[in-house]
Amino acid sequence: MNFKKILIIYKKELLDLLRDRRTIITSLVLPIVLYPLLMIGFSSMMSRQEMKLEQQQMLIYLNDNILDETSIRIESELQNIENLQIMQKIDFYEETPLYELLKDKSIQAIVDLKDSLSSTGYQVLIAKIIYDETSERSSKTYRKIADKLFEIENELVGERLQRIEINEEILTAIELKKENIAPPAQMLGFALGKFLPYLLIILTISSAAVVSSDLVAGEKERKTLETILVSAARRNELVIGKYLTIITITIITVLLNLFSMYLSFHHIFSQYQADAGGLQLPIGNFALILILMIPLVTLFSALLLSISTYSRNIKEAQSYQMPVLFGGIMLSMVSFLPGFELSFGFALIPIVNFSLLIRDIMLGSFELSYLFIVVSSTIVLDIIAIYISIRLFNSESVLFRTAEEKSLKFWGKDKKNVFSPQFGFLFFIILLLALFYIGGKWQSENLINGLIKTELIIILLPTLLILKISKTDLKKSLRFNTANPINLILVMLLAIPILIVVGLIMQVINIIFPIPESYMELLKNLIQDQDITFWKSLFVIALLPGICEEVFFRGYVINVFRKQGAWKSIIITAFLFGIFHLDPFRILPVTLLGIWMGYLLIKTNSILIPIFAHFMNNGLALILGRFGDTIPYFGKILQGGEFPFWWGIPAILIFLFLLKVFAKINDNIHLSRSNAPALE
Amino acid sequence: MIEVKNLTKVFIQKNGEELYAVNDLSFTAERGEIVVLLGVNGAGKTTAMRMLSTVLQPFSGTASVEGFDIINNPQQVRSNLGFLSGDTGLYARLTAREVITYFGHLYDVEPSDIKIRIQEISNLLDMDDFLDKKVDFLSTGMKQKVSIARSIIHDPPVMIFDEPTTGLDILTAKNIVDFIHRCKNEGKCVLFSTHIMREAERIADKIVMIHEGKVLAEGTWQEFKEETELNDLDDIFIHFVNRIKDEKMVNEF
Repeated sequence: MNFKKILIIYKKELLDLLRDRRTIITSLVLPIVLYPLLMIGFSSMMSRQEMKLEQQQMLIYLNDNILDETSIRIESELQNIENLQIMQKIDFYEETPLYELLKDKSIQAIVDLKDSLSSTGYQVLIAKIIYDETSERSSKTYRKIADKLFEIENELVGERLQRIEINEEILTAIELKKENIAPPAQMLGFALGKFLPYLLIILTISSAAVVSSDLVAGEKERKTLETILVSAARRNELVIGKYLTIITITIITVLLNLFSMYLSFHHIFSQYQADAGGLQLPIGNFALILILMIPLVTLFSALLLSISTYSRNIKEAQSYQMPVLFGGIMLSMVSFLPGFELSFGFALIPIVNFSLLIRDIMLGSFELSYLFIVVSSTIVLDIIAIYISIRLFNSESVLFRTAEEKSLKFWGKDKKNVFSPQFGFLFFIILLLALFYIGGKWQSENLINGLIKTELIIILLPTLLILKISKTDLKKSLRFNTANPINLILVMLLAIPILIVVGLIMQVINIIFPIPESYMELLKNLIQDQDITFWKSLFVIALLPGICEEVFFRGYVINVFRKQGAWKSIIITAFLFGIFHLDPFRILPVTLLGIWMGYLLIKTNSILIPIFAHFMNNGLALILGRFGDTIPYFGKILQGGEFPFWWGIPAILIFLFLLKVFAKINDNIHLSRSNAPALE
Repeated sequence: MIEVKNLTKVFIQKNGEELYAVNDLSFTAERGEIVVLLGVNGAGKTTAMRMLSTVLQPFSGTASVEGFDIINNPQQVRSNLGFLSGDTGLYARLTAREVITYFGHLYDVEPSDIKIRIQEISNLLDMDDFLDKKVDFLSTGMKQKVSIARSIIHDPPVMIFDEPTTGLDILTAKNIVDFIHRCKNEGKCVLFSTHIMREAERIADKIVMIHEGKVLAEGTWQEFKEETELNDLDDIFIHFVNRIKDEKMVNEF
């Protein structure tokens, strides 16, 4: 590789892009203009809101049950509050209509006056104020009334003291003075500190997206790609030159963002002469954020460059970038969601980690250890992403990708088209939605019956119908072949180490991403529910899913991806199997189990084996959950249903040994491309 | 010179079937010779030329350009090659001079030489008026000249033209044809592809007819005419296509 050549490519791409209007607008102009506009918008909106609140009319209803000198005095004093009006008296027999008025915001508060006597015979006036905390106007009305009542009380107490000839001043031990400093700027600071990471990340990704789509997909579209491929430059030089261009422009975008942010902050906060509400404004923080953004920019540049390389034109690149942008928006939103704090788990999730870290820096407190985790985990991802994008650029089938068939292959004439990937995906998504909406409803009504109905009606029935429609030989597509008894025994033995390994993986996930308590409770209830007999739960949790889910995934879905070759179809199917369990914490372990089932299916060519393996796995988990504690010796080790970590080593060794035996017995089938799961 | 030996390219189609885009292609092109690859659309001309320019990797067989092997020395192959096709584009936001200079750099031409070369080419193709205008504002004919300049900035001994006249009007196409003749006179080796029979007749020293990735016939028009006893070029081409079809039928029975 020639560094001089990379530099030539880099310089040319920069020149080219800096003459592109789209790049200039999204990467350079937008960040400069956006922040001042945003600040002006925000602050004027806030102060206007404040003013509006100040001028708003307050209407209250006063229910005076006493009608003595004091209560009348209260009424007239309340009337003196600026902008406050007391509603005309109406006779209500019930309180409900008044509550309605309060709810629909026709009135802002109800004041109910009653009196009672204290134990020493003094009159105590009870003023009950009913208001709506969620309405800013109503809470404000409450504060005004409460302030006024407090004032009146002071006067009344003063009068009483005078009557018994005690100096009123005796009551004043502390004199409270409050001064309301202009809160808009302060509120602004706090809100912005949470909001800015989101904005910064989105603008960064958009900039990288625009630039990268132009650099490869754009060259394909304008038919200039071939001219540089036939030039004396090497592909790696081309891709690295382009990659550095994306990074450079995107970092300029970040720099402009931060610079513009810094300037507009200082302008607005010094204008208000207020503190920034916890928002940390020293330029050092902005510099730190700039440096931190580099690995994130590197990651996104590589990802978006890969997409651009894969796409045939800019439009296609943009539509493939959409999910990345959308995902970025969703993940970066955590910065202003309440309750999200940077933890070890979150520090590993790209974007989420940066969003939270930048927020913490903006608000002045961040942990250095998390900063290292965020940066180093991103660097690992960077290396993978860069490797992939270079590989893609060197792949001629990607670089010269031909047009794809656009039509969705439905069964139409050829009934076998139910086994096309398009139809397969659609079918999977329909079942997934049915599982979520209908299955969820059934299970919330009655857990056990709901589970039975879900497995049979949502999973098994549609799958059998679709296989029927396809008019393929059901026995053949399902691989409904007899199982070798030795295989059954081996699978049974293998279930134990697999259960331990998968259990340990779950435990590790649990450490990194603590699973919510309520959730664990639900799982435990399902397994340990003593009201249901063991045999019934074995049926519902182990046997039924074993049959229904295997028929769907290993009977149908795996055939859909048969053209991808054996391993790819096993892995894709397993991943969909993982998603199907509608549980982000279990995607990884369930996917691993899915890979195991798929491997068993292809290796033995009988669906009975994965059904049995699925049954064994779920059944063993059930037995452990229910009786684990009562098994002598074993129960003690299994404190709280967790495996000791050292069990992982023998479990893996036993697994590998048994796997070798299994592979030897079934060595007639090799998992090569030619042995992809096939219908034919 | 170009030497092509048993060059084969297989594409795996979406349905998993193999497509032999180029099948066992062999021919040579000498210095000072214009060789035309003649074939209908989809015959494998572009794929063959892309392999020669090392953009695509051959499935089997190989080829060499100026003695450099396309598999083992792709870098040297590209340095000795000028490539021009009818549908290649230019960087619209750069000026003509910037585009040509960029390719000069990519082809390792010394910066001082680039300036001189650009002036030479500009005089040759009459480009002075628009050399510093952005490509976006140029006419089709002007763009064509910039493309030519881009492909010869490094003065390569071998030129490959992939259907360079497709979609051009007569006058612009004539620029190209004149240029090809000039290349020949300068002693360059020229490989030219087209599906237009008359164009092939007009400029070829040697014709390689290809169909479905395979060589149908190789020779001059005169030799073809004598061999087939036909006069019309289209008829000759169809004759060769039919001959191969018949052979296929015989082989299948």
